[in-house]
This record gives sequence, C-alpha cells and structure tokens, in this order.
Amino acid sequence: VTTVAADPYPFEFDPATTALVIIDMQRDFVEPGGFGETLGNDVSLLQSVVPPLKKVLETARAVGLTVIHTREGHVPDLSDCPPAKLNRGEPTLRIGAPGPKGRILIRGEYGHDIIDDLAPAPGELVIDKPGKGSFHGTTFGAELQARGITSLVVTGVTTEVCVHTTVREANDRGYECLVLSDCVGSYFPEFQRIGLAMIAAQGGIFGWVAPSEAFLSALVPQEVTS
Amino acid sequence: MTTDLYPARIETGARIGPVAANPYPWPYDGSVAAARTALICIDWQVDFCGPGGYVDRMGYDIGLTRAGLPATAAMLEHARATGMLVIHTREGHAPDLSDLPANKRWRSRQIGAEIGSQGPAGRILVRGEPGWEIVAEVAPIPGEVLVDKPGKGAFYATNLDLVLRTHQITHIILTGITTDVCVHTTMREANDRGYECLILSDCTGATDPGNHAAALHMVTMQGGVFGAVATSTAVIEGTS
Repeated sequence: VTTVAADPYPFEFDPATTALVIIDMQRDFVEPGGFGETLGNDVSLLQSVVPPLKKVLETARAVGLTVIHTREGHVPDLSDCPPAKLNRGEPTLRIGAPGPKGRILIRGEYGHDIIDDLAPAPGELVIDKPGKGSFHGTTFGAELQARGITSLVVTGVTTEVCVHTTVREANDRGYECLVLSDCVGSYFPEFQRIGLAMIAAQGGIFGWVAPSEAFLSALVPQEVTS
Repeated sequence: MTTDLYPARIETGARIGPVAANPYPWPYDGSVAAARTALICIDWQVDFCGPGGYVDRMGYDIGLTRAGLPATAAMLEHARATGMLVIHTREGHAPDLSDLPANKRWRSRQIGAEIGSQGPAGRILVRGEPGWEIVAEVAPIPGEVLVDKPGKGAFYATNLDLVLRTHQITHIILTGITTDVCVHTTMREANDRGYECLILSDCTGATDPGNHAAALHMVTMQGGVFGAVATSTAVIEGTS
C-alpha cells in the first residue's frame, strides 16, 4: 500500500487497483481558439494544468498504472444530446454547430479530441460521455469493475463541472478518489479554490486532495505487481 | 414507509414558467405543465436540521440548515395545489449496513459520527431511526413518493429515474440540504439525464454559507451549466 500526504487525511492506495483518470482534456476546452475560448473563457488557466498532468501521465505509464481518458461529446446526429442541454440559455454556439475546430462537441471532430500533449497511448481506455459525469450513459463503471479498480486519481477539466460530477458519482459508488489540485483546472479561480475545498470538506465528504508532487513522490519508488 | 409509485395527483392544468431565474427565464422551453414537473425535497431529516438531531448535538448552528424550511413548506403547498409530483428523499442505510461503502463508513468514523453508531436521535443515518425521519415542517403526506438513497445523489442505486419517467416528468424543481453536497449531486445527475432543473435559493442551505453561495453561483455559469436558480416566490408568481 502506498500513502500520499493529502487533505483531509493521508490517501492510501494500491497501484494495482488504482486508475489515473484524465477528464476532458479536449482541444475545444483547453486550446486557444477553441470552443471554450469563443465563449469568453480564459483558457490560460486550463493550459497551466498541462505540464504537471503530463508529468503525472508519463510517470503513471512508467509504473504501469491503469490510465483512462474521458471526452465529453455527442454523436453526429445529436441523438444522445438532451434538448435541455442543446437549447438552454440560447447559446451563441450550439452543440453540433460549426466551430473553429470542427462541429462543437461532436465525436470525431478535431476539437473534440484530446490535446496532443496528453494523447492516449495504444491500449489506454478512452470513455466518451454525453454528460458531465463519467458514469452516466457510459461503460466507465463496468470498465473499472472489469479491471478491479477501487481507487481513482482524478485530473482534468473543469474542476467544478466534470471533475466534480465524476468524483461525486464515484464516491457514491464506493470508489476512493484523490483529486490532484494542480492537475485540475477551472476557467474561474474562485471555483477552482472552492471546488477543491468542497471535496475535502466535512472529513473528506467526496474524497481527498493533494498536489501532484505528493502523488508522484509516493508513486515513483513503487512497482506495480500485477 | 412504502414508496407509492402511483400517488394520486390532482389535474389542474397549471403551468410553470416563465419563472424569473438566473441565468435565463426558466424553463428553457418557456413553460411546462405542473403535471410534468417534480418538486424534489432532499434530505430534510432530523439528523441534519432538526432540534436534538445529530448536527444540532454536535454543536453546529442548525439555523443554517433550517433556513430554507419556511419557504420549502410554502413551495410544497404550491406543488400540491398545482398537481406537481412531490418527491422526498432521505439519506440512510439498511440497519445491517450492507449498503454502506467501506470508505463512507471509515470517513464518518474519522469525524466522530460513525454511520450506524448510536447518536442523539437513534443510530446515525440508519433507516427507521428517529434522526433519519423527515422534520415535521416539510413532512410527506400520504401518496407522495419517498426515495431512500445510500449516497449523496438521489439517482444512484434508487428508483428515482424510473419514478420520474413513469410519471412523464421532464422538469425538476429542487429544495433541500445541503446545497453543495446532496442537492448539487442530485441536480448534476438529473441534468446529465436530460431533466430541466431549477434550484431554489431560498429553499436550500448548507453548513457553510460560502459553500451555499458558491454552489448556487456554479449553476449559473456558462449559460446555466446545470440549469437555473430562482426563489420559491418567483416560481409561485411564474405559475399560471
């Protein structure tokens, strides 16, 4: 068992039953000129996640940790997009509309795919999800069970939306979640702060929080046995 | 108590919306029949907000979690009068704790409130105990749906989605405690499932007022990422 110094308690995990989960590091959310930026968001806050997350990903691969990527998006005919999501708030750029990097949030489009720096390696699982949470409407839960995964190290964007929703879903299902504070990002600094605080509040009501450095220093001396 | 899948509801022809809400007049599709709308009241339980309950006896100010009770009682009256589907949820576990994840039990022990142990109002978060019951101010009436949930979200490991779809519910109005934990988790689950959601700022509350405000604010970002925020008064005024 490996122990990471974390908030509110030390996080203990077995690398053989732990997955690194990288949520929605898609071009449309993270890159300049993408969908996120066209909505008026400052993508530099999400860009700052990339270097530490790249290091975590490379280390996870080196020690043989299970790596899972997620992407938010819909099928081209939008048959899996709820009308409320499509039409709410009269968006200037609707899901499925032509955007700067292809049709917005449509599977197979350039902007929907994961940024080059964190591109999935052969054999790594990629979960396509229609919502904010990674469990609803996907095989994520079944894939975790099939691999005997019980702990998740959660990274990606955005902290208060897809990361939080996934951690809440995972926590209710009994998974232990460690959120890496510098490997999750929000367009809004206040939500980054309070989003992380909410996870560790009330004795870790949703899970644990630690900087990537603490996770890496716990992981590196380990060899996965499976 | 049993869960009645087919409670008697009155058909009034009432419609909800447009309701003055943030960031858009709710619902997104203009208005909705009260009969297609559910009022979900989340975890108004003695242990969380009742005098003599767990939170009270731990020395916390239950004024913060009780703040939404009067407005919720008024909202319940409105929902019953207009024929909305009224649903109450309760967080809790079976007496043998067979539905309690190990990490949830471990963490509850760390903060000195181990689930299943003896608390001020019976065994903490165990179904059937006095502390687990819903407080009198917003108590269910016969025929209303009760959903017992083992987690923070009301959809996971419950029949809530089935009940909503059976009643052809498309829109959900949320009250309850706490704003940032169980109400938000349920709203996120509902939103991913395509339900159009409205959270009521005066019918919710949290042990930390900052988290209450932040949780409401998060809903309003990016054109309403999880739905919209309004007051109970706005819903009542937006009903025709």
